[in-house]
Amino acid sequence: MNTHPYLRAYLAGIFVPTLVMPLLLTVFIVVRIVLKVPVPIEQGMIFPMAIVPSLFGLWNMLWLGSHESTHLPIGLHGAVLPLLMAPTGALVATCLGVLALGSHGATWFQACEIPYALIAPFFVGALAGYYLVWKYIVGFLNRVLGIA
Amino acid sequence: MNEDNQDRMKRLLQQAVPPVNGNSEPRRDLWPAMLRRMDAQPAARALTGWAWFDGALAFGLLGLAAFFPASIPLLLYYL
Repeated sequence: MNTHPYLRAYLAGIFVPTLVMPLLLTVFIVVRIVLKVPVPIEQGMIFPMAIVPSLFGLWNMLWLGSHESTHLPIGLHGAVLPLLMAPTGALVATCLGVLALGSHGATWFQACEIPYALIAPFFVGALAGYYLVWKYIVGFLNRVLGIA
Repeated sequence: MNEDNQDRMKRLLQQAVPPVNGNSEPRRDLWPAMLRRMDAQPAARALTGWAWFDGALAFGLLGLAAFFPASIPLLLYYL
């Protein structure tokens, strides 16, 4: 099965965000429509729904195209992605008014304030989470689809 | 399609597709390559020595989520 390897890489890449998306939609419906909580989370849905799946797919295509020369394990390749996504997501969130940067911390959805001291451990957590997701889920899908 | 065209088509097809010999066995013995591939499997399994490291990462991630629940929506935002 050597046809369209980059299409298969894209599909394997978008698998995880596509699974998370209904979960986010459920949270949105419950919080905003059922509980009528006055928090503008619909603006915060744009990044995870529109950008994250495409980035995952493109990142997996990049791994497929580059791993013959770089020999980078897929887990490490995935762990690099937050370095790109964290500033992008913060920029999108700031532009949409979801994230406000204050003097002591960042405030999400005008409700959840995270001190700057916690940003670093959260970022390390994101690196670890991405490493595991890419190594065990995306790597498995790549093997199933015959591109790894 | 008249007979001339049929003959021409037949000749073109015969030129394009190489004839299959009666002896269709592979030119070389494939079993040693199969044995090499089977021997390579335990080497791949040795990489699972990293499982402890991955387990520690997973526990750390769960601990982060437990001690700082605010990290959960933040992580979901980036997934």
